[in-house]
Amino acid sequence: MLPSVHRGILKAAVHTLRTRGAPLNRVMSICDGVPVGLADAETIFALSSGHGRCGVAVVRVSGPASATALRSMAGLTRSLPPPRTALLRSITEPQSKEVLDRGLVLWFPAPHSFTGEDSVEFHIHGGPAVITAVLQALGSMPGMRPAEAGEFTRRAFQAEKLGLTEVEGLGDLIHAETEAQRRQALRQMSGDLGRLYQDWSHKLKRCLAHVEAFIDFSEDELIEDGVLTQVDKSVCDLQADIERHLKDERRGERLRSGVQVVIAGATNAGKSSLLNTICQRPAAIVSPIAGTTRDVVETALDIGGFPVLLTDTAGLRDSPDLVEREGVRRARERVEQADLTLVVVDCAHLPSDAQEAAAFLLAHLKSILPETAFPPTRCLLVLNKTDLLHGDQRQKLDWELRRVCGLPPVCLISCHTNEGLQDFVTVLHNSVKTLCGDPLSGAPTLTQARHRAHLQQCVTALAQYQQYRDTDLALAAEGVRLALTSLGRITGRVGPEEILDIIFKDFCIGK
Amino acid sequence: MLTKKLSTLHSFLLLASRRAGHLARQQYDVIVVGGGHAGAEAAAAAARMGAETLLVTQKIHTIGVLSCNPSLGGIGKGHLVKEIDALDGLCGRAGDWAGIYFSILNRKKGPAVWGPRAQLDRQRYREFIQAELLGTPRLTVLEGSVEELQVTEPNPEEPGHHRVTGIRLANGSHQISARSVVLTTGTFLSGSLFMGQTTSPGGRIGDAPSSAGLSYTLQERLGLRVGRLRTGTPPRIVKDSVDFSLVEPHLPDKHPTPFSFLNTHVRCKPEEQLLCYLTCTTPGVERVVRESLHLNCHIQQDTKGPRYCPSIESRVLRFPGRAHQVWLEPEGVNSDLLYPQGLSMTMPPDMQLLLIREIPGMQRAEIHTPGYGVQYDFVCPTQLSPALQVKSTQGLFLAGQINGTTGYEEAAAQGLWAGVNAARWALSMPPLALSRTESYIGVLIDDLISRGVTEPYRMFTSRAEFRASLRPDNADLRLTLKGFEEVGCVSSLRYQEAVRVRDSLQEALAALQTLTLSAPNWTKKLPNIRISEVKTTSLTGVDLLQYRDVSFEMLASAFPECLSRFTEFSQRLKIEAVYRFHCELQKKEIERIQKEENMALPQDIDYFSLPVSLSQEVREILDRFRPSTLGAATRLQGITPAAIVNLLQYVYHTGQKERGPRRNKPDHKEDREEELCARNASIPQ
Repeated sequence: MLPSVHRGILKAAVHTLRTRGAPLNRVMSICDGVPVGLADAETIFALSSGHGRCGVAVVRVSGPASATALRSMAGLTRSLPPPRTALLRSITEPQSKEVLDRGLVLWFPAPHSFTGEDSVEFHIHGGPAVITAVLQALGSMPGMRPAEAGEFTRRAFQAEKLGLTEVEGLGDLIHAETEAQRRQALRQMSGDLGRLYQDWSHKLKRCLAHVEAFIDFSEDELIEDGVLTQVDKSVCDLQADIERHLKDERRGERLRSGVQVVIAGATNAGKSSLLNTICQRPAAIVSPIAGTTRDVVETALDIGGFPVLLTDTAGLRDSPDLVEREGVRRARERVEQADLTLVVVDCAHLPSDAQEAAAFLLAHLKSILPETAFPPTRCLLVLNKTDLLHGDQRQKLDWELRRVCGLPPVCLISCHTNEGLQDFVTVLHNSVKTLCGDPLSGAPTLTQARHRAHLQQCVTALAQYQQYRDTDLALAAEGVRLALTSLGRITGRVGPEEILDIIFKDFCIGK
Repeated sequence: MLTKKLSTLHSFLLLASRRAGHLARQQYDVIVVGGGHAGAEAAAAAARMGAETLLVTQKIHTIGVLSCNPSLGGIGKGHLVKEIDALDGLCGRAGDWAGIYFSILNRKKGPAVWGPRAQLDRQRYREFIQAELLGTPRLTVLEGSVEELQVTEPNPEEPGHHRVTGIRLANGSHQISARSVVLTTGTFLSGSLFMGQTTSPGGRIGDAPSSAGLSYTLQERLGLRVGRLRTGTPPRIVKDSVDFSLVEPHLPDKHPTPFSFLNTHVRCKPEEQLLCYLTCTTPGVERVVRESLHLNCHIQQDTKGPRYCPSIESRVLRFPGRAHQVWLEPEGVNSDLLYPQGLSMTMPPDMQLLLIREIPGMQRAEIHTPGYGVQYDFVCPTQLSPALQVKSTQGLFLAGQINGTTGYEEAAAQGLWAGVNAARWALSMPPLALSRTESYIGVLIDDLISRGVTEPYRMFTSRAEFRASLRPDNADLRLTLKGFEEVGCVSSLRYQEAVRVRDSLQEALAALQTLTLSAPNWTKKLPNIRISEVKTTSLTGVDLLQYRDVSFEMLASAFPECLSRFTEFSQRLKIEAVYRFHCELQKKEIERIQKEENMALPQDIDYFSLPVSLSQEVREILDRFRPSTLGAATRLQGITPAAIVNLLQYVYHTGQKERGPRRNKPDHKEDREEELCARNASIPQ
């Protein structure tokens, strides 16, 4: 670890040396080879096809640097291919020229593209390794960053490429995309990585607050110059920390990949039986991962060719027992992060009247799913223990519940007799297939690429602080602000009021 | 401007001071209530806009009074003064006339956060503002107290919506009608004064309290939500009683920089400037505060006071065991008093004397007027439009402390903008908003109306996202041109000057850009500058000007033939060169925000029944804050991107319906833009 620390410090020192007296914006591009303009980094890219097993994956690029990306990654030094015509090329890493894949490239010059901007599509092989390599290569080029939620659509909209009916769908789409990203973020932010980012964000907030306090108050107040010396140190440390983190891939948490399916329900509804039953099916067997906690059991499965992480959780109930309460809290956390929730209900608890049963189920769902999950589109209702029903009760219930609006798909099964299990697996398979077709659910490479891009921007912005520290504190502060904005895109936005709060807490401002 | 003679002031006063019975007319376009910093700017701005304007104030000779500190400008506040001046307001020129100590704060921290500031002569400031107002065409000043605001009965089709018709004066139920009324009542709205254990009604010591009628109209008839805030002022110290050998003198700038873009120099000669003095609190001060706590009503109450301008009581209670700074500031050329900045207090007068005598240099000090606290009502500013009009009452505008702000500059900025819009409403012109992407005034108003206040609001540079672009030096380029071309509040004289400045700067930058030399050749021309030889490409004059040690004067003497005629703008050109790159970066984001700000949201939407997919939580937030534009909605906490898009769709959709059958091409770009503009213009009333 030591050598890299030294490199960090050395680099910072070189930086300050070169900065002195020279036009600053130029220095940045010469030293680092990273995008100069943060706000200018406006060419976006994303995996536009689904993940999981697929033959071909489509990576889309849109914005002014698209042509450059195409040239340097498809070895087209001279001319661009004819517009809207597929061309078979070797796709290479722009710096090392290492061949990543062989695939089709398409060039859509503005304005005749989906977004109205210059666009490029890479049609590559669908393996996760290839996709990751191509996304990382794109992210390493100046002026490129991963797309935000719904950004392609938003650009298309701004370029007046969408009709009114499509605009109507845009809200839903962005909702879905932000939801998917929120779930992704929640999954990651709860781990060590999340704590690391939060810690950086916290430090950066204090840095900004202290610089702002020095700007807005120091003249008439008792804010000592020592405040800035502290900020200098923090900024330097942060820069080194983030750079080291970006270099050392292993430090990053291995992201859990696959569609996250969570089994939830009241105690004794048969959740664990369901997990065991699904795992025993020949179509779906992989090794169980050690439970992350004593009450959350995770199993990696392959359902009809799609990667699935199946999680069994503690039964949801109010309990005076501390350990059980913690289990319930974790269960709820998992449900919140899930792509698909299997809500298991004991048939015997259902009212006999179908209408009442429907109302009961709806109320039950509300007690289990978070408010953001309504209407419950990413949920299956599993009515277990049908072997306890008598006569034609099962068929009647099945038939009547299907006609009720507002309920998610209902499966009646018995883990005891395996009755209805085949149908259930089919329904589950279809749901997983739909989710995998959505390029956003559980695509860790995309999130990872986005995080890298934001962290890289953060480091670049911190360099701006150091460049202007002695000449123009307003522009130096701008650097810290930009750094916090970049990090805030991972950890959540930070508003000016929050900064002012820190200022007033840390300093006695009186005038 | 400074050459204007004030000697005729007294005859002005006699001529213009009118009693209600002698008013030339009983009907005005705009009536401004209150003659403080907000009222003065509002009245002057409305008159400049061409509206027949009446300013009603309790006493003409208190117009333009500096009720608290004798200073103008500072960090963030100086930005506001420059912007007010750029829109042809009064306070910048008044500051240049009355200033007796000029300094630019933050000089070492970059031009974007420079804080032009001046200590003022109280009397000169007041005289300038009074002379200016009394000499303004179309403006009448009336001494009187407003008893009641007159409004129409609520519109039966829109319950709770009123229209202003005029005011009624206190004595003799004299009525004066107007299409717009601007209220700038400062701390007088249900104001009460606190000193020790005594409480009395009023907004400022020595002035009569304002009538309860206004407060009643605002709350009971118009149903406006109000809150309560507090502030305070320090005791004034007799100058001769201070031992100046024990305090540290602070010098002003050698060359005073005027606030106003129209002035090349200030009235006060550089060598005639007065000094400020610095001293600090001792443990004895803390002891007196603690001993007098039980005798101090004001500090015991939990009404919200400002965190950044706290009384000495709250300072030592929150940060005990420290020495707090106390500035002794001159009150004027001929004044015998000093203003102790940082010693605002509300304890009984005898304890105040004990306290100040614990401070070095003031062991024998005498108090001329004791300090006191004020509590007053403010109207929750989320009920206002970007034009500072009460959303539910047509023609009623509010500005200054009544909106929950603190500070002369904040008040003046709102006053100017309320005056502009009051006049526009009276003259049947559509309201105008200033964007937070173009001015600190825009930041101030947007923060107030979209977030509301929980403590007195003061401007900081950290509140402006686009600080690198919104600088004190370029306020004229940002606002004067717009002020003349779009708003109508700027005189043609000032406009022509701004045009000249803009054209000269552009020419100069173009000339610099065409000066292209290789690094070795630059070194020959400027031997003292170390230019990195690594550069293979040639450098332009603009590139060179970005070097820390290169000034425009140096370039001008190296290339006199093409640059020397621009030396008048040396400093501005240097700043432009350094900031250009950063402003370019911000431009994209600014354009995006402006686009969203141009999409107005109707003010009468019932968010709870809106047939759009929005969560209950989002509906509640939207209902509470009622953002005027889509841009304002995006800045509300708790609003999701999806909600924004759904709102956007709603704006388009309703726009479509209103256009109705005339429309056949649904997706034509120009139509759509035109439609948005039309909505924008017709909505925020």
